[in-house]
Amino acid sequence: MNLELPDLATDFGAAAARAFADLGGVDCARRAEAEPGVREVEVAKALDGLGALDVDPRSDLDSAAAAGELCRQAGRNVLPYPIASVVMRSPEDGLPFAVVGDDRPRVDHGDLFGEWRISTLDGRSKTAGPMAPRLASKLGPFVTDLTAGRDQDPSTGADVSLHMALTGWQILGTAERALELAVEHVSDRVQFGQRLSEFQAVQFQLADAAVAVDGLRELSRFTLWRLFASPNEARADVLALRLHALDSARSVLRTSQQLHGASGLCDEYDISILCRHIQPEMRLPFGAERTASELFAAAAAIGFSGLFPHGGSAV
Amino acid sequence: MDYDFGERACELRARLRELISTEIPHDYLGAFTDDPEDLEVAQRFCRRLAAEGLLTWAWPEEYGGSGGSVWEQTVVREEMWAHHEPRGAQYMGLNWVGPAIMAFGREGQKERFLPPIAAGQVIWCQGFSEPDAGSDLASLTTRAEPHEGGFRITGQKIWTSYAQMAQWCVLAARVGTATTKKHEGITIFLIPVDREGITVRPIKSMLGPHHLNECFFDGVFAGPDEVLGGVGNGWNVIRRALAHERVGIARYARCDRLMSQWAGTRDGMAALPVGLRSAWARALVQVRVARLLAYRAVAEQEAGRSADVSASAARLAVTQCDQQVAELLFQAVEDRSLEGPDNDAPLEGAIEDHWRYAQAATVAAGTIEIQRMIVSRSLLAGNKGAP
Repeated sequence: MNLELPDLATDFGAAAARAFADLGGVDCARRAEAEPGVREVEVAKALDGLGALDVDPRSDLDSAAAAGELCRQAGRNVLPYPIASVVMRSPEDGLPFAVVGDDRPRVDHGDLFGEWRISTLDGRSKTAGPMAPRLASKLGPFVTDLTAGRDQDPSTGADVSLHMALTGWQILGTAERALELAVEHVSDRVQFGQRLSEFQAVQFQLADAAVAVDGLRELSRFTLWRLFASPNEARADVLALRLHALDSARSVLRTSQQLHGASGLCDEYDISILCRHIQPEMRLPFGAERTASELFAAAAAIGFSGLFPHGGSAV
Repeated sequence: MDYDFGERACELRARLRELISTEIPHDYLGAFTDDPEDLEVAQRFCRRLAAEGLLTWAWPEEYGGSGGSVWEQTVVREEMWAHHEPRGAQYMGLNWVGPAIMAFGREGQKERFLPPIAAGQVIWCQGFSEPDAGSDLASLTTRAEPHEGGFRITGQKIWTSYAQMAQWCVLAARVGTATTKKHEGITIFLIPVDREGITVRPIKSMLGPHHLNECFFDGVFAGPDEVLGGVGNGWNVIRRALAHERVGIARYARCDRLMSQWAGTRDGMAALPVGLRSAWARALVQVRVARLLAYRAVAEQEAGRSADVSASAARLAVTQCDQQVAELLFQAVEDRSLEGPDNDAPLEGAIEDHWRYAQAATVAAGTIEIQRMIVSRSLLAGNKGAP
C-alpha cells in the first residue's frame, strides 16, 4: 500500500506550478478573457516549454499521475487552455480529444483548434470543428459549439476514462485553491474587532471544506490507479470521481465565495474567476445529476466493489 | 501509488472471513443484546481467535503477537466491524488497553494483565467521561485521595460501555487539586469492577443494552500498584487511547457490506425506488472516500508522522457517511425496519441495528465538533495539504 504520488508526477507538477505562476497565475485567465489570443501566444508556449505534450497518460500509471498533476496545477489557476484535451490528443493525428454530451458537441476552448476528435461516454466518436464563435459568457467565456464531422472508429474506453479522470484532477486543483483563498481571506479580514477566522462558525465551514478537498484528492489518486489495476470497472470508477469532484467543488467554491462576502463576487478577487471559469468543466459533458444517474447504471452493470468485495457488489 | 494490501494482508482477510462464516451466526448483530448467548458467541470467538494466533495479530511479537503491519491491523478492524464486531467488548482490551499497558505499565502489570487479554478471557471498560466532563474530558472531577499507602476514589463516570459485563476498568481520576493546568493530576487506575464501593447502573438507550452505563465510585480503594503510567501522567495515557479511537472503528466497512447485501438480495437494484438512486450512487462514492481518508490516517501513522489531523478528517467523513448510509438503507427498507431484529429477515434487522447505532457515530470517541476544531486549527495554522 502506497498512497503517495510517484516522484515523476511530483516533479512535473512542481514544474507546472512554476510555469503557471510565471504566466501570472489566475491573472492569466483574467487576461485571456479580455484578450483570448493570450491562450495561443502565452499559454501554448508555456505548455510547450514545460514539455506538457510529451506526457502520454495512456502509457503507464506514473505518466498518468504526471498528467494528473499537470491538470491539477492547471485547475489551481483555471489555466485558459483545454489541458485534459491536449494531454489526451489522438496519437494518430494529434487532434485534441474531448468527451461530449449525446445531443450537442460543446467544448471548452473549442475555438482553439480547427479540428477535434470527440466522443460520447459510450465511445461513439467523430471529428468535429468549431461552428460558431465562443460563447464569451460569464460562465463559459471560452465554450464553443462544434459541428460533428465524419465518424471515427469508436474511442477506446480508456481514452474516455482518462479524459474524465484528468478533468477530475483539474477540478480538484480549483477546489484546493478556492479553499486556500478562503483561508487567506478569513485570516486577514477583521470584523467586530477580530479576524473572521476566530469565529467558530467560520472555522467549521473551513473544516468541512478541507475534508471535502482531502477526500477528493485521495479519490483522484485512487481512481487513476484503478484505471490501470482494474480497467474493466473503469467506467463506474471515473463516474464516481466525476460525481465527487462536482459535488465537492460546488460545495467548496460556494463556501469560499460566501466567506469572501461581497468581495467574492468581484473579478478582481481570484475566487470569482475560479468560480466562473471552472463551470464548463463542471457542466460538460454533463452535470452532477446526470453523472449520478450514469454511475448508478454503470455500477449496476459492472459493480462497484473496489478493493473490498463482500461476496457481492454494492449495487 | 499502489492500493494493493499485499499477499499477507489478503490472506489474513480471507482467513478472518472463513472463521467468521463458520463461528458466527448469519443473523448475528453483536454481543450487546438481551440474549446472553450473543455475548457467549463473542467470548467463544475470541478464544478461537486466540487459539489461532489471530486475536493479538497486531501486538508486538515480544508480547505474543504477530507484529502485524498497520495495514494488517486495518484489515482486522474492517472485517470485525463489517461483521458486527464479533469480538464483542474485548476489542477495547486488544486495541488500546493492552498497548497502553505495554507502553506505560510496569513489568508486574504487564505480566498480570496482558496474558488474559491475549487469551481472550477478559473484558475491560473505560471510565473516562463524567456528567460534566464529556468533550472537555480534562475537566473531570472524580477524585483519588491518598489513603493508607494507596488511594480512595470518589466520583461518577458516565457513558461507560460494557461496565456490566467487564471485569476490569481503566479509570481516570484526579490526584490533588485541579490547577489552572487541568491536565495535571489526572491519573489512570486499573481496578476490578467488582471492587467494594463500585456501583454500575445501566442507562436505557436506543443503542440497546450494555452500551451505556453510569458508574459510581464511593471511596473505592486503589493500591499504588494499580496506577498506570505514574501519578499525574494520566493525560498522556488518555491521549494515546483517544488517538487510537479516532481511527479505530472502520464504520465504512459495515456500510459497504450492508449495501452489498441489500443489492445482492434483491432483484438487482431494480427494486430501489427511482428517487433513491441518486442518493445510492452518492453513498457508494462517500463510502469509498471515507475509506480512503481512513487509509490516509493509517499511512501517516505508518510513516511515523502525527495522524491527529488526518484522523480527525477521516472521522468526520466516516461518521457522517455512516449516518448517510444508515438513513439511505432505512429508506430503502421502508417501514419493515420498524419491526426490529427478526430471525426471518436478518438484513432488515441489521439495517435497523445499523441505523440506531449510527446515530451515535458523530458523538462517540469525540464529537465531530471537536474534530472540526482540530481540522480547522491545523488549516489556519498553515497546514494546507498538497501545494
